[in-house]
Amino acid sequence: MPVNLGLAQLSNNFLICTVVLYSLALLAYAGDFAFGRHPSTAVIPAAEEPELVAAGVSAAGVPAAADRAGPGLAAGPAPTGSVAAGPVAAGPGSAEGAPPPGVPGLGERSRLSWVPAGRWVRVALALNALGLAVHLTGVLTRGLAVHRVPWGDMYEFVTAVTCVAVVFFLALMIRYRAYYLGLFVMAPVLLALGLAETVIYTPAGPLVPALHSYWLAIHVTAMTLASGTFVVGAVLAVVYLFAGRYARRVAAGRQSASVGVFRLLPAPEVIDRFAYRTVMFAFPIWTFGIMAGAIWADEAWGRYWGWDPTETWAFITWVVYACFLHARATAGWRGRRAAYIQLVGFGCLLFNLMGVSVFITGLHSYAGLS
Amino acid sequence: MTGLRVPPGAKQPDGPAAQRPDQPAAERPDQPATAADGRTGAAGPGPFGAMGWLRWGWRQLTSMRTALVLLFLLAVASVPGSVLPQQGLDPQSVQQYYVAHPSLAPLLARLSLFNVFAAPWFAAIYLLLFLSLAGCVVPRTFRLARSARALPPPAPRNLARLPHSARYETRLAPGDALDAAAALLAARRFRLRTGDGWLSAEKGYRREAGNLLFHLALLAILGAVALGGLFGYKADRLLVEGDSFANTVTSLDEFHPGRAVSVADLQPFSIALNRFTASYVTSGTLRGQPSAFDAYIRYSAQPGSPARGYDLRVNHPLNVDGVKVYLIGHGYAPVFKITDGAGRVVFDQAVPFIAVEQSGLTSEGVVKVPDARPRQLGFAGVFLPTTVNAGGRLESIFPAADNPMVSLVAYAGNLGEDSGPSQSVYQLNTAGLRKLPITPRPLAPGQSLKLPDGAGTLTFTGYRQWISLAITYDPGQVPALLAGVAALAGLLLSFFVRRRRMFVRAYPAADGGTVVDVAGLVRSDAGGGFDDEFGDLAGALRSAHEGQEVTAPGRPAAGTDDPSHTDTERE
Ligand code: HEM
Repeated sequence: MPVNLGLAQLSNNFLICTVVLYSLALLAYAGDFAFGRHPSTAVIPAAEEPELVAAGVSAAGVPAAADRAGPGLAAGPAPTGSVAAGPVAAGPGSAEGAPPPGVPGLGERSRLSWVPAGRWVRVALALNALGLAVHLTGVLTRGLAVHRVPWGDMYEFVTAVTCVAVVFFLALMIRYRAYYLGLFVMAPVLLALGLAETVIYTPAGPLVPALHSYWLAIHVTAMTLASGTFVVGAVLAVVYLFAGRYARRVAAGRQSASVGVFRLLPAPEVIDRFAYRTVMFAFPIWTFGIMAGAIWADEAWGRYWGWDPTETWAFITWVVYACFLHARATAGWRGRRAAYIQLVGFGCLLFNLMGVSVFITGLHSYAGLS
Repeated sequence: MTGLRVPPGAKQPDGPAAQRPDQPAAERPDQPATAADGRTGAAGPGPFGAMGWLRWGWRQLTSMRTALVLLFLLAVASVPGSVLPQQGLDPQSVQQYYVAHPSLAPLLARLSLFNVFAAPWFAAIYLLLFLSLAGCVVPRTFRLARSARALPPPAPRNLARLPHSARYETRLAPGDALDAAAALLAARRFRLRTGDGWLSAEKGYRREAGNLLFHLALLAILGAVALGGLFGYKADRLLVEGDSFANTVTSLDEFHPGRAVSVADLQPFSIALNRFTASYVTSGTLRGQPSAFDAYIRYSAQPGSPARGYDLRVNHPLNVDGVKVYLIGHGYAPVFKITDGAGRVVFDQAVPFIAVEQSGLTSEGVVKVPDARPRQLGFAGVFLPTTVNAGGRLESIFPAADNPMVSLVAYAGNLGEDSGPSQSVYQLNTAGLRKLPITPRPLAPGQSLKLPDGAGTLTFTGYRQWISLAITYDPGQVPALLAGVAALAGLLLSFFVRRRRMFVRAYPAADGGTVVDVAGLVRSDAGGGFDDEFGDLAGALRSAHEGQEVTAPGRPAAGTDDPSHTDTERE
């Protein structure tokens, strides 16, 4: 079936509108940091994972989840924990244990106690949601124009990945009121979309025969979903590192004005936990995507694994994220080191997407950059 | 870190402390393999002699930290395999690399860097990793199996101090209240233990099981890959329209058998190519991009068995008796009819040419006529599928054969095939050849080229197309797939099942009723959601008891976070 050029053009226009709307949303998020009014009284304890020691009676003193139940919910979780008071964390080196004053944290459920968002945030959210709707429409019309899943070349892949990232992030934000993340997520999303529209742009067209397979839909959809989620994970890791540095400064008594943005972030542990959850969400999808890719490679090229550069980098990415998951369970590797490992994993993912298709030639006829 | 592996004595709170990189390793419960036998904390081998060293080494190898380092090494070690050309993937690029970096290349080759994934050091890393994996996971599997019947621990004395707790009063007697709670939790498939005035329940053993399943499945994948490497084979074959071949070693262009494969093991099918068609985008910016390839073949599974037709396409391989045949390439094979100086027809066949660029499929090839007399003849040619004259230069602007032409350079002399190393059919050894002085003129189908000095005549009679086939047999495929599915299932279980405990205590209240304390404890609830589950369970218990809310003592009202009220000593 020939490409529907009218629809393809429509899709381009929608995506340009998306960029405009996201830029405005980004400005509004920034405005919230600059001009919004923020409650600065509540001290949010870190959400931690209580342990289940073999003899439950002697369960270690573990800070509890920081959820604050709404009044009247007797069965609600009890706010028993604060890291600052933990016996070990009280040491001088444990700056991350001292949560900075901040807005209500990520660890809380909006369903239980809805803190109304400020005016800036409401504007930003509205723009962001509208932008997302237009973004989704743009991706959808591109798919309708080319009669297939709209992530068949690099340009389409980037528009789809950013779309997943924004969906995931908005869900996170609405569920956990993580408004302060808007700036940090939307900035890279906007950058990627801008690059997609300018440098990477590929006009709508049919696929090369190697991509004629329903495995394209399965494999690349999984990779798209996982990548979009990993984007949010990486943003959380970066925010965690900055928030942690800020917290250590505060603990050391050095509070500088230049880090005003980070004053408004929740405790580093809260962010860390969410980065972890995000990776836990994306990792199985990535694993599935690699498996689906292997099945497809078997169908197309006669081997399920051949160390083609794209395969190799997907494997490296997978191994590094597995490292991250292990690091989270290994003493001395949690926190900052784990966050760095996560970022290395994301770097590998990016390199696979951008670097491999440009610098290294392989069988994957995906890039559309030539 | 998981509490189940915490050795006695190492019961620090996990969270913030674990984020201190300076924490001495020996105090940390990070060695699952050794945690159970309570020997963690051994900083060195101690005075144990050889056995002690061995045990110490094994413990190091199977520690989480070693696993982490080996995993990371595996990732780093894979990088050169994607950056440098690899012998198995692209031998031609390796050759080019030798030419471009004559002094560096032999060094890299000695380090197996052109064959990373078969290199001894790469094997060392993953074998160590999998040894570590086995050493870590197998004992844990036995431990899990043994704990399959273990009861949850007794309820702590003061339930209000647990991370999740609730309290209410009921008119039921304490014993009845506990019975009702037991019934409710049992119905939700908790494992129960009861005592004097308390009830303890646990659920979610599938989490550990999932984690183990995942790691064991990784071992199984390695096994499946090894199986394929031993008993599988790979082969290539180029096939021109109208030709056929049988799956025997002599008629395959390339054959890479696994270590345990013998020639007699090849499945005896044969394949003939009737016709090949390629379609291309004909307009727009993507003009010339292929849109479909179809190879219409006939095959018979055994000599003598009936031939069946098959439309072989990319992503649509043929499966004969477990052997798969793939369409991996295509090209043009111009047909030449050559008469030598003696007037005999010495050559009449299609010669596969290899594409040197993709947008117009300009292809190059050579024709060797060893039977020509008085002298042997050789030709180096270019085939242009859709020829146009671009300012005096001929080029192909479209991959389909819309205006096919060949342009040839002719040689006469000795092809040098009788002596020296065997030659490639795609290269002409011009050492013993003399270039014939002919004005270059492209030939259209049907046109001829008369060679000077009565050396003969060449006629370009037309073209056929060829396909290249990959033939693979991999008995490890299905096991690898099953192991992969198991790994994914294990991963999901381990991520989304949480191991949690519920405790209930019921005792008489001062005013004659019964006070019920409910508490919950979860391990690694990284996926979140226990808050909700605890709320549900506590609510269900309370309505089963028709309880009335009371505030738990010693707890601030909901909504305030009092940092002073925290980390309690557990009794
Ligand atoms: C082939 C190498 C390995 C890979 C790809 C790998 C991957 C993973 C992944 C993805 C997880 C998170 C999923 C889960 O919790 O089930 C995990 C967890 C875990 N792995 Fe591995 N692993 C490998 C080797 C090892 C080895 C050698 C050990 C033992 C030293 C080990 C011990 C563990 C433990 C104890 C956990 C649970 C951590 C927790 O409780 O959160 N793994 N592994």
